[in-house]
Amino acid sequence: MNRFRRSILWAALVLILLLIFLSIYGAFLGAERAKKFFNSLPLAVYWIALTVLLIVGIILFRRLVRMPALLLVHFGCILILAGSIWGSQAGHKLQNRLLGIAKIPTGQMLIYEGQHENRVVLEDANQIGELPFYVRLKDFRVEYYKPDHLQIQSWQGKSWKIPVEIGKEILLGEDVGTIKVARKFESFKIKVEDGKNLPFDDPNSAANPALEVEIKSPDGKAATRYVFERFPGHTRPEDKLHLRYQRIISDYISELQIIRNNEVVVEKGIEVNHPLHFGGYHFYQHSYDADAGKYTILMVVSDTGLNLVYAGFLMLCIGALWHFWLKHLYSAVALRHVNGD
Amino acid sequence: MEIKYTIQGLLIYAAIAAYLSAFLTTFLRCERIGNFLYLLGFIAAVLAFVYRWYDVRHVPLQNLFEVFLCLGMISYPVSWFCRYTLGAGGYSGDMLIAAIMLVPAGFVFSAEPQRLPPALQSWLFVPHVAVYALSYIFMAKATFQAISSLCVMGRMQHANSEEATYRMICIGFPLLTLGLILGSCWGKLAWGDYWGWDPKELWSLASWLVYVGYFHFRYMFGKKYARINSLWAIAGMVFILITLFWVNLSNLFSGLHSYAT
Repeated sequence: MNRFRRSILWAALVLILLLIFLSIYGAFLGAERAKKFFNSLPLAVYWIALTVLLIVGIILFRRLVRMPALLLVHFGCILILAGSIWGSQAGHKLQNRLLGIAKIPTGQMLIYEGQHENRVVLEDANQIGELPFYVRLKDFRVEYYKPDHLQIQSWQGKSWKIPVEIGKEILLGEDVGTIKVARKFESFKIKVEDGKNLPFDDPNSAANPALEVEIKSPDGKAATRYVFERFPGHTRPEDKLHLRYQRIISDYISELQIIRNNEVVVEKGIEVNHPLHFGGYHFYQHSYDADAGKYTILMVVSDTGLNLVYAGFLMLCIGALWHFWLKHLYSAVALRHVNGD
Repeated sequence: MEIKYTIQGLLIYAAIAAYLSAFLTTFLRCERIGNFLYLLGFIAAVLAFVYRWYDVRHVPLQNLFEVFLCLGMISYPVSWFCRYTLGAGGYSGDMLIAAIMLVPAGFVFSAEPQRLPPALQSWLFVPHVAVYALSYIFMAKATFQAISSLCVMGRMQHANSEEATYRMICIGFPLLTLGLILGSCWGKLAWGDYWGWDPKELWSLASWLVYVGYFHFRYMFGKKYARINSLWAIAGMVFILITLFWVNLSNLFSGLHSYAT
């Protein structure tokens, strides 16, 4: 190995070690600060240096050309780096300046049910960008795992977790008594009629999931209690049981329509892991109105550079499997063939 | 420390006991009995895994309890593959590794069943975690070989252990790469970014880079500095352990992967 090639390898080793230390440092910063750190100017110089070194390595090391698997691994890394740089904030600014392509790199949209919107709050600058089409929220819903659960804890430290089944009486123990869920409310409200408090479900008000629970103590005394999902710990001093209503979210779904020139061109229900791709952007379910479920918050991400990154991923995987597995497997089979096994 | 007085807990403890007995009997040169006990341990671990799967109604790879249960189960087929396909040694060491893998599932982590949060409901969930689990077993075997290569005195034995370490890393590295890339693709689908600079992502990148450094160093110097090669391999495992434990358990590194505790 000549001196120049050896120094390239040393440079590669130094850059690898440097990235290891930078990754450890970044891990201590937390995701948000680490993202800023790795997108800062000195790190941009590092990424470009790494990309250049990989290109120089491919040119200088003939061995890489003779071994397509290793070439794929290194070329895959170049594509990943190039795609990431091209798709970054700085990459978007550069495209705007050089090619006149004005795309929003990333941002968020808040859309109310039945409304359409094309304004995006940009991630970094707290500025507003506009999409060349509108996104309409047809419907938003939160789905829960079935059944819901009622968690019960006695002052003596005993605990139970029972599925919510309306009207089913459950014996908790001879010394505790029985418990029964009598009603379930999505939006619990109380009205006063003839001097009496009457709970009812009000579909027009904000969600307030609750259960009406009947407790019978061993001496035959009955009591009715209301257990609220959003207000755990709502108990009276005389209560012997601490109750908690628990529902586990299984999915958030936004039914979206893309409107261009007053026409619906695409319609899709998006949920976590199932984004919508349209017009060079991905739309992700990001957050929602936890009180009333009336609006959704979408994350909008430009797809610039993504194909390069995915191509790099594919090359890196194929190259690694080929070089480390298939090559050795082929050698072993060839050796057996030569030995006449 | 959490002792599990359940059928599942008993199966895990039976598997640990069988693996440890297999290690001791093999160490005492009763290899046939050792092999039989190793197989018994594997059967107990499979039963515990299947029981868990039935209990939680999804492939049990969601939290550290389930991941370690899986690691304890797949140790046996990986060990078998290494012995009969790769001709690699360290079979008795594998028995000890399998027992160690099950200890966190048996005594450390809670077995409370959990529902899958929306982010984990993806076709990438199982391949991403399973591929990582497999790679960790190979890297654990490589570390075992690397440690023994540092301990042995004879030049020939030393070279053999170093070569075995390299072969194990050659098997584990593509899996580690695949795990990283599958995680990246999943991040893009779930959170909108294939790289979120989350502490766990950064530690897993650092682990991957240690092995990349190992290959470059070994390419540059071959077996000239065999001990340094072994130290690279051990450092890789240290980084994997940090990725696996510290990020999940320490408050220092809260992030997108914190649900996996």
